[in-house]
Amino acid sequence: MTTAEGEGGGADAPSSSSFREPVRTGGYYHLLKAVVYRDLLIWVRYPVNAALGLFMGVFFFALMFYGGTLVAGQAFSDSIEGLIVGYFLWTLSLGAYSGIMNDIQSEASWGTLERHFMTPFGFGPVVFAKSIAIVFRTFLTSAAVLALMLVITGTSLELNLVTVLPVATLTIIAALGLGLVMGGLGVLYKRISNVANILQFAFIGLISAPVFDLPWARFLPLAQGSAMLQRAMRDGVRLWEFEPTAIAVLVGTAVLYLGIGYAIFGLTTRRARRLGVLGDY
Amino acid sequence: MASEPSETGQVSDSETGTGQVPDGGHTDTGGATAPTDRESRALAPDEAAIYVDGLSKTFGKGKEAVTAVEDVSFSVAPGEVVGLLGPNGAGKTTTIKSILGLVLPDEGEARVHGIDVHEHPRKAYEYVDAMLEGARNDYWRLTVRENLRYFAAIRGQNPDAVADRHDELLEQFDLAEQADTAVRDLSRGMKQKVSLASVLAGDVSVAFLDEPTLGLDVESSLKLRKELTRLAAERGITLVISSHDMEVIEDVCDRVVIMNEGRVIVDDTVEELLAGFETQGYRITARGVDDAVLADLRERFDLAAVDRTSDRTRFEVAADTATFYRLTDAMEAHDLDLASVETVQPDLAEAFVEMTGGDSGDSRGGDGDAATQMADDAEATAEGSRVSGPPASDGGERQ
Repeated sequence: MTTAEGEGGGADAPSSSSFREPVRTGGYYHLLKAVVYRDLLIWVRYPVNAALGLFMGVFFFALMFYGGTLVAGQAFSDSIEGLIVGYFLWTLSLGAYSGIMNDIQSEASWGTLERHFMTPFGFGPVVFAKSIAIVFRTFLTSAAVLALMLVITGTSLELNLVTVLPVATLTIIAALGLGLVMGGLGVLYKRISNVANILQFAFIGLISAPVFDLPWARFLPLAQGSAMLQRAMRDGVRLWEFEPTAIAVLVGTAVLYLGIGYAIFGLTTRRARRLGVLGDY
Repeated sequence: MASEPSETGQVSDSETGTGQVPDGGHTDTGGATAPTDRESRALAPDEAAIYVDGLSKTFGKGKEAVTAVEDVSFSVAPGEVVGLLGPNGAGKTTTIKSILGLVLPDEGEARVHGIDVHEHPRKAYEYVDAMLEGARNDYWRLTVRENLRYFAAIRGQNPDAVADRHDELLEQFDLAEQADTAVRDLSRGMKQKVSLASVLAGDVSVAFLDEPTLGLDVESSLKLRKELTRLAAERGITLVISSHDMEVIEDVCDRVVIMNEGRVIVDDTVEELLAGFETQGYRITARGVDDAVLADLRERFDLAAVDRTSDRTRFEVAADTATFYRLTDAMEAHDLDLASVETVQPDLAEAFVEMTGGDSGDSRGGDGDAATQMADDAEATAEGSRVSGPPASDGGERQ
């Protein structure tokens, strides 16, 4: 990045000559690297929270697995692959959704949110970098939970990364969009945990939405990706084997919901600036 | 840069309410009149490091509406250090946040090095950063160095490329030994310094510092003041410092902008501001002052802060040279034993109290109840200085 980049490219260069011009030595790469590294550091520096997050992820799955096996026996075991994939996607989506939402609200409470607003990159790219960091971390934690789930159940899945990674990423981008909406509303209204928590459970319905029986359902967040991920991880379908329309819907919903989330985030932060509550908590 | 803080005592009108009245021209406390010298001090928008013109902001609507900032205009030259003062609720924070684009003003413009902050925020942010939350301005779970690296990176720096400068900053702020310590494990003063260092880590030419010495002990405050002075002198950074600590402002700042009730009521250099309040005044201690003599002196002179003990009477008097001689003649005529004579001079705390009326409590916003806190603080400072002022000496301004 140079001093001439960015939104201000159309701005006149400073004309007051009696000051030292700041020198920019970094760019978007350094921004992304720093944001990802900071996100991991903060995660690690709250070790109890991090460990509990992982433990609870595995614990709830184990509870479902052993409880379901006791109640439904073989019938449950037959559908275990679908459950694992669905649960994996749920932890991913939840991680992305609550990750960005909590991150924005934590920044406000720590007094650092406004500093992210005042950067030469602009707030948007910084929030985008945060989103990438959160998706990255969520993949790491959800992969760990997935590995433990497979060990617990003695199940194996098709894990073709070339297929699973892009499908899962595009799926949870929609969750990120919803997280941005909640993060923005949190900046504006501060306490929205009741609504935010309810939405977490709505994810279960979205992930298990019957997109084959109700074609319109595939346009809901997570639904299309969930269906595709099931096919990829259970049946071994590769990315290039999906119908182009399926991929188009997946990409389209990801872009749509991220776009809606980002637009609402932009509107809410602008409203927060108008009300003077951007950095309040 | 401002001179060292005055060691002289203060003038107080605490006892009689008829103490010295500043004869300076900046006593408008109503907030309705713009400072007389603002125009002469104003810089062109592209000459100033910070240029603010007609900034206004009202929160709420109808009967609930609160005008936080009204037609605020001032400019700051590159490398200048300006103090932004005002009682709680005066509009300082809203002004700063409006300049930075963190609050959207209803009217007016704010420019940093000629760049309109609201039109081209990203370009403007290449030059400016702010320490708005004191110690709450960085990540307490990260180490000092990690904070510097992170905030440098989000300001467009390659942290590795500026590592040497970060080392310098750590040395400069006495943080080198704590570089790898988590901020949460540091003292309040250290946290403040980390916040400041993290603002400077990204290389800025303009910095807003809100209460940079809040919560610091005397030694830490003095050190930080020295560093701020050095920053401005050596790096040429333009600083706007909002503080309740009058000594910081007087010590560090070239100029003071005082706000009250959302308006700028004073925009002047510290020296000129104090000069405006320099009435010749004396604090006199004498023996043998009985009621009759005191009554006579009260009648003939403008006595204030009269304090009588068993055998001594101390009072302050506003007097020019001729009046002072008449007073000493009168005291001689009454055969009084003169114990001491001190000159008394106002400082910024007292000037501030005078400017804002010292009772500027209002119902503006949620700060109404606390609106006088800063003035109270200033008064307390002034009173404290007065009581514990240095003893009279035989030379200089004191006898």
